[in-house]
Amino acid sequence: MALLERVDTHPGVQTVFGKIIPQKEAYSYCLRTIAAFSANIFQVMRILNDDWEDRTEQITQIANMMNCAACAGGEDELFQYLDAFYDEWNIPELVKRAAWIGAIWGDYGDEAEDMAGRVIQFTEDRVEKELDTCPWDIVGSEMCNMTTGMFTANFDIASGGEHGEITNDVVLNMCEARGCGNPHCRVVAERRDRFGLEKQGWLDHRGQAVMPVHDTPPERRVKHAQGLRNGQYTNAFGEENSLDWQYNWVAQMGWVWSCSFPLIAIRDMADDDDEFERLLKIVFATAGKNSFIDPFAREGLRAWLDIPRSIGDNDPRVMGAYIQAILGCQLVPHEFEAFDADGVEIRVKQEDFTGRFEMAPLDEITLGYEAQWNGACHTLVSPEWSVWIEEDDEDFIINVGRRIDDRAL
Amino acid sequence: MLFKEDAVARAEANAVRNNAAWYRWTHDLVQVSGPDAEAFLDLMLVNTIAGLPVGRGKYTTMLDEDGGIIDDLVVLRRTADVWWLSTLYGPHAVRWFDAHKAAFDVDYRDITQQVDMYAVQGPNSAKVMNALLPAPVDGLKRFQIIETSIGGIAVSVDRGGFTGELGFEVYCAREDSAAVAQAIEQAAATFDAPRLKTLEVYVRSLPMEKGMALRQDYKGLTPFEANLGWSVHMDKDFIGKAALERALAEGPKRAFVGVEIERESYEDIAQNEIVRKRGVPVGICRQMIYGYTVDKNIGFAIVDAKKVPLGTRVTIGPNDSPAIIVEPKWC
Repeated sequence: MALLERVDTHPGVQTVFGKIIPQKEAYSYCLRTIAAFSANIFQVMRILNDDWEDRTEQITQIANMMNCAACAGGEDELFQYLDAFYDEWNIPELVKRAAWIGAIWGDYGDEAEDMAGRVIQFTEDRVEKELDTCPWDIVGSEMCNMTTGMFTANFDIASGGEHGEITNDVVLNMCEARGCGNPHCRVVAERRDRFGLEKQGWLDHRGQAVMPVHDTPPERRVKHAQGLRNGQYTNAFGEENSLDWQYNWVAQMGWVWSCSFPLIAIRDMADDDDEFERLLKIVFATAGKNSFIDPFAREGLRAWLDIPRSIGDNDPRVMGAYIQAILGCQLVPHEFEAFDADGVEIRVKQEDFTGRFEMAPLDEITLGYEAQWNGACHTLVSPEWSVWIEEDDEDFIINVGRRIDDRAL
Repeated sequence: MLFKEDAVARAEANAVRNNAAWYRWTHDLVQVSGPDAEAFLDLMLVNTIAGLPVGRGKYTTMLDEDGGIIDDLVVLRRTADVWWLSTLYGPHAVRWFDAHKAAFDVDYRDITQQVDMYAVQGPNSAKVMNALLPAPVDGLKRFQIIETSIGGIAVSVDRGGFTGELGFEVYCAREDSAAVAQAIEQAAATFDAPRLKTLEVYVRSLPMEKGMALRQDYKGLTPFEANLGWSVHMDKDFIGKAALERALAEGPKRAFVGVEIERESYEDIAQNEIVRKRGVPVGICRQMIYGYTVDKNIGFAIVDAKKVPLGTRVTIGPNDSPAIIVEPKWC
């Protein structure tokens, strides 16, 4: 019997030591790192504004405006945008598609972000979405409320007689939310004219639905979205999105909704940019330092990346390999300029590093990761080593090296 | 999703099975016209279109060059040179025609936004229609379409539908939609026939019980694998024919089957979940639904034709829901 000529190939992210992080694991890690970045930003917000209602209302309103703006333009432009969406997703006329595009939009976004669950009900008067898991639940309760503003925009964009106008045809409630500690999460949209409901304010979206909600028994809940389970997402009308597509979508859009949108409001909560950036660096530096306090965290990283024992604990390559794995899993193109016991240099294009979604570069990625990785380096390797990011023409050089800083954070 | 304890959905399903009900359906419509329309459609579709009388229709599939199903549709001949294609998504069909138009003198366009459609379905649907129309519909043959009127509004009515019951479809201009709906509602009320609101009841539950699938369920299968070999006319030329000849010679690799889920519900089973036999992947499922006539959680699946005969016990999805492979038709 003939042997195979070679082993099968499977997609993955290769670490600097040749270990392959399988695609699904890399995708999950990408999601979680973006969520963690968002969680840090939300900590900055909580320092700047100690009023839960006020800060939550601000980010929710901004998220709604930005989601509406994404589809803004003249009526013709909006219709073209919607038609392209219907076409891409094979959404037929029979579902009263203009009315419920929010649900269709939301479902594929949830699935791409591994917010795993199901559409329980999809009728002319009511949509109920149940979520069993959410990698973004670490961000916190304000985030849960903020997403209701985004969903409201999704529903409003294409509904009612005035396309693009905020008509609020539906009442939308996140009845439970994992970010608030509920075991699972559900979002219900109910048509106002059908149920006789009043228009909601930005903080009114956490009430109960009019009609009873469905509770999937724990044994039939799911741990991951369709992409991670089966390699593709399939919407109600049979159109499929591959795991590749979902991964790339999240690596772009995950930053937009979870970081860019709230940051517009959060920056305005500070007295000025210097105050905002000072706090941002402190929060991210602290988060980084706490990443590797536990000895098993350092050992776990070594095992995950397959770092050989010939590279000791106090070696910059440990940190360099960690940063490279993050970049790889976040789909950021990069190349090594140096990788030895004297230091590590990783070159990335500035537009790739900050412009995950090309149309909306996020400079806070540089500020945040420089502080976070520097803090992490102090506990993962040792305080003898630092991480800093330098500009080099149109590139960034991410350095892991020895640097004495008398004012180190 | 539909659950067995959903009293509203059950009442809607029962109305269609035991009496009559109506709903706005409006699958997409592509109009094909021109001197070469008949020849063009005959090349695009596996069923023989040539010679179809005016006012009659046929069910057929449309294949890609690999012999895989890309659409299933009903073709209605409206006049000598004008045809209507009812498809679940018109723009896809239009793009496919663009790619194959070549020198055919044919015109086609998606007229979905100009036409609305209401379905009246159920054993008493003819009574509702007869109350609506100037002449009775009892003599209409399946897939026969006629020109008539409702309250002075011009409509087209065909005998057809997607529930497996006696049924009729009313086509009207979009601007007449509200008036036509009102007239149907009044006539239907006379027979206690409700308007259905639960999409999954009339798009999924009722059709699936009768073995009626959507094009997404058949995606990529040959018509033979999809149990639709009866609609393929190998004695004419059509796109995908060469691939079908090879497939016939090789025999079916996959089988389009039914599955019955043995748990109370199916929340953990999305479309394309993996089907396993003794832990080994042997196929994928399509959508699951609750069937109120048969009182079961049912669905379609595409499985390895050799490894998974009818009666095979399998598991589906991330929580290994036990299921049994059955014929893809329940009543």
